[in-house]
Amino acid sequence: MTAGLVERSRGRTRPRRSSQHTRLWGWLLTVPTAWMVAFFVSSMLVVVLLSFGHTQADGHPVFGTTTKNFAALWDPVYLELFLRSLGYALATVVLSVVVAYPVAYAIALHGGRYKNALIAAIVVPFFASYLIRMYAWKALLSDDGLVNSGLRKSGLSDGIAFLNTPWAVVGGLVYGFVVFMILPVYASLERMDVSLIEAGKDLYHGPLRTFVTVTIPATRAGLYGGMLLVFLPALGDFVSAQLLGGPRTYMIGNLIQQQFAEGQNWPLGSAMTVAMMAALTVLMMVYLRATTTRTREQS
Amino acid sequence: MTGAVPSTTRRSLLKGGLAAGAVSGFAGCGFVPSKEKPAEEPLPKSAKAKIDGDLVYFNWADYLDPGVLKGFQKEYGVKIIESNFDSMEGMYAKINAGNQYDITFPIAKWVVKMRREGKLRAIDKDQLSNADQVYYSGSYFNDPWYDPKSAASVPFTVYKTGIGWRTDKIDAMTGSWRDLWNPQGSGHIFTLDDQDEALAMAALLLGYDVNTAKASELAEIKKLLISQKKYLRGYSSDDVNNMSGGDAWIHHMWSGDFLYTREALAKKKSDYDFEAPKEGTPINSDAYAIPTNAKHPGTAMLFIDWLLRPENAVKNINYLYYPFPVKDAVGTFNDLAKEVPSCDVRVEDLENPDVFRLLPADQVQARAAVWTEVKAA
Amino acid sequence: MSARPLERKPFLAVAVTVAFFAWLYLPIVAVALFSFNSAKSLSVFSGFSTRWYSDFFSNSALLESLAASLRIATVAALGSLVLGTMLALGLERITSRPARAVGAVTLMPLVTPEIVTGVAALLLFTGLGFKLSLTTVTLAEITFSIAYVTVIVRGRLGSMSPEVEEAARDLGCTPWQALRLVTLPALFPALLGSGLLVFALVFDDFVLAFFTTGVDPQPLPVRIYSSIRFGISPAINAVGTLMLLVSGLLIVAALLLPRLFNRKTSSLDLITGGERR
Repeated sequence: MTAGLVERSRGRTRPRRSSQHTRLWGWLLTVPTAWMVAFFVSSMLVVVLLSFGHTQADGHPVFGTTTKNFAALWDPVYLELFLRSLGYALATVVLSVVVAYPVAYAIALHGGRYKNALIAAIVVPFFASYLIRMYAWKALLSDDGLVNSGLRKSGLSDGIAFLNTPWAVVGGLVYGFVVFMILPVYASLERMDVSLIEAGKDLYHGPLRTFVTVTIPATRAGLYGGMLLVFLPALGDFVSAQLLGGPRTYMIGNLIQQQFAEGQNWPLGSAMTVAMMAALTVLMMVYLRATTTRTREQS
Repeated sequence: MTGAVPSTTRRSLLKGGLAAGAVSGFAGCGFVPSKEKPAEEPLPKSAKAKIDGDLVYFNWADYLDPGVLKGFQKEYGVKIIESNFDSMEGMYAKINAGNQYDITFPIAKWVVKMRREGKLRAIDKDQLSNADQVYYSGSYFNDPWYDPKSAASVPFTVYKTGIGWRTDKIDAMTGSWRDLWNPQGSGHIFTLDDQDEALAMAALLLGYDVNTAKASELAEIKKLLISQKKYLRGYSSDDVNNMSGGDAWIHHMWSGDFLYTREALAKKKSDYDFEAPKEGTPINSDAYAIPTNAKHPGTAMLFIDWLLRPENAVKNINYLYYPFPVKDAVGTFNDLAKEVPSCDVRVEDLENPDVFRLLPADQVQARAAVWTEVKAA
Repeated sequence: MSARPLERKPFLAVAVTVAFFAWLYLPIVAVALFSFNSAKSLSVFSGFSTRWYSDFFSNSALLESLAASLRIATVAALGSLVLGTMLALGLERITSRPARAVGAVTLMPLVTPEIVTGVAALLLFTGLGFKLSLTTVTLAEITFSIAYVTVIVRGRLGSMSPEVEEAARDLGCTPWQALRLVTLPALFPALLGSGLLVFALVFDDFVLAFFTTGVDPQPLPVRIYSSIRFGISPAINAVGTLMLLVSGLLIVAALLLPRLFNRKTSSLDLITGGERR
């Protein structure tokens, strides 16, 4: 069946495939596909269905055919909330890039024998409980916590109110997700031909210019992957805002969580979820279109 | 004063039913309209107090002295399998989802709701050897407002909500909820991250009922709460750590948490004080109850009896710093609270109107919408 | 190729790296330190004590939570490894439109915020009338972890040359044999890496687990999350330190394991599934 077809994703001609071979791969696809349909697709479907429902007088959510949940979302407050979350997520991505590149660069190109140990040292804390680490920040950064005590004792400052600010929230988001940027960028740097940098330095006479014109384009694949892997969880996060946030740092994740908790309005929460997913899908498609063609050349 | 639950109209039932029919394949009773139960259906019978398996326990995290739990396991040779919830809605959702817990700890208005829906079984006081610790002659709990004749629950703690503050950072407080707008504390003020508590605080300040769902009153409450944001540092229920970590100089706070902060954590006790504002303080209580679908209700009965033993109540009071209405343990709490009389909660306070009552879903949603808009603004 | 030594060490990059490590480890050091604190405070160290550890080890609820977390993470890692690898292999070889649609759908969990997946899973299970339990948690976790395995394994497959497999078949292997004897062993670093990654993610996951737990001992992160609104007790610091130790040992083991199979395989391949030149 696939005899003589050009393999589109590779741009190489492939020899005739035996149908036996194709059948095996086909079988391999069916089981996980069935699983995904059974569990993932159907659960998403239930969310969509419930978004048209309403809550009974006794508090139970039921399916229905109303669109009033979606109508309720046209409140400017929700739009502002979405934009704010977008802003925090974007800030998180930018800061992650700023942190990830020097770190990945230093380890990939100057780590020598200790490369793997260093990468392991970055990944290991990521295995420790996210919640506990975030809560530890709350204790550390509190007005009478260790950081401020240190600042006061060393005379550097009278104490800074770190917590309950947008910066604390973004800082928490970066802390939680920067690993997802470091690893892909590191992988790209590892695969890159280092002599490109040498050549770039000769051509451009400056580390910063070389970095921008040579290194970043060469590590594009890792960069784009990392940006996605950081942006998405940051956007839907609610822990950072809950623990470290202030009165004006409410994010979409907090909003949706509230509908399923105190708000007791599962249909509204489902509608918010559907709206957010729709917005994200649009963003994703735009992003992928912008980055895919170039990435294809790269890989 | 209890909000009447409007009966589901036939129309909405039909609509829900049609849609549910259209979504064929959902065999479970998940999202199909439930039948309204008549209010006076008799409670499912109480279990006999005897061991019938391990105890499946469902409570807030860190809410009982671990020594008390361990003691029960040792005395009766059973295990306690613990699950936690972080909100009443979460607890209710899990029980609704069909999870079978043996004992759970609902707040007063949720006892009303769950009892009405037939989700709780009766607790026969004659089965509890320590029943007289709570149900002595003349005790309020023989017939509390949330559980007629105390048929389906046993009282756990009673508490009030007020304002905790740092005497070394704030010069003077006025004894009113307005203190949460104190400019001197600006940037160090916290309001509880709790819909009922926050709305109640504003309602009391405006002179409204703490359970109000009137559109005009809610609009004023919303405006008032939003006006607080420029002084506010955050909405947080972690009052203990906010106060002891120095982030909070004025905190909308639960009485027991304040006592704990002052007595157990404070470097200098006199730096901390608590006020019960003059406009009124919400009073709340919680209880333990045995769900109807419990698999081991007998063990649960024994567990309740165990908790009612004065020595265990004393341990819990020393752990939580909240008062328990166990007769022979009341002295312990009085000792803990003696330096801060404003923290004292007396059982008679439960008769006052500032208690959180069960509301029908549309009123809850009106309040929830306001709270969401306040937090998102 | 390994990096040729560049002319001078970039001071800025190294400085940022050092600062980064300090920032990364500061809360962990604090957690470990305060897990030995004799008082309940999280900001003042009053003296050395192991009471929180003895509390933890004598607290059967916490121990059972730890056991539950380990069980769920292990089964989820294995399940998603199997399904994710099958998916990766199928998607890489079959390029028909339905297959590509499947590929897109599989990536959706990566795009979906956790709060959504948690709610969706809860709605599905309760809507169908399933009883919530550790099994439902595991099923949900597998479903949302498959994508990670697929992405990593596909990445590795993409950089593997197909000629070796072709050669094996030319020599008379059935497709299944070629898969078993050639492709899978070559995929080993990617399998190990993605398996570890999924284990770590699931072990620490609280959102999805929070929504889908039943009355079985709840996973540890759910326990921690339940108390986070009202402030966690210092005993949790002991828990965190132990979790870190367990994970640290796992990683070290995983790094050393490939040495037994193929000395040339970079340990970095474990996580990125890529090939080092």
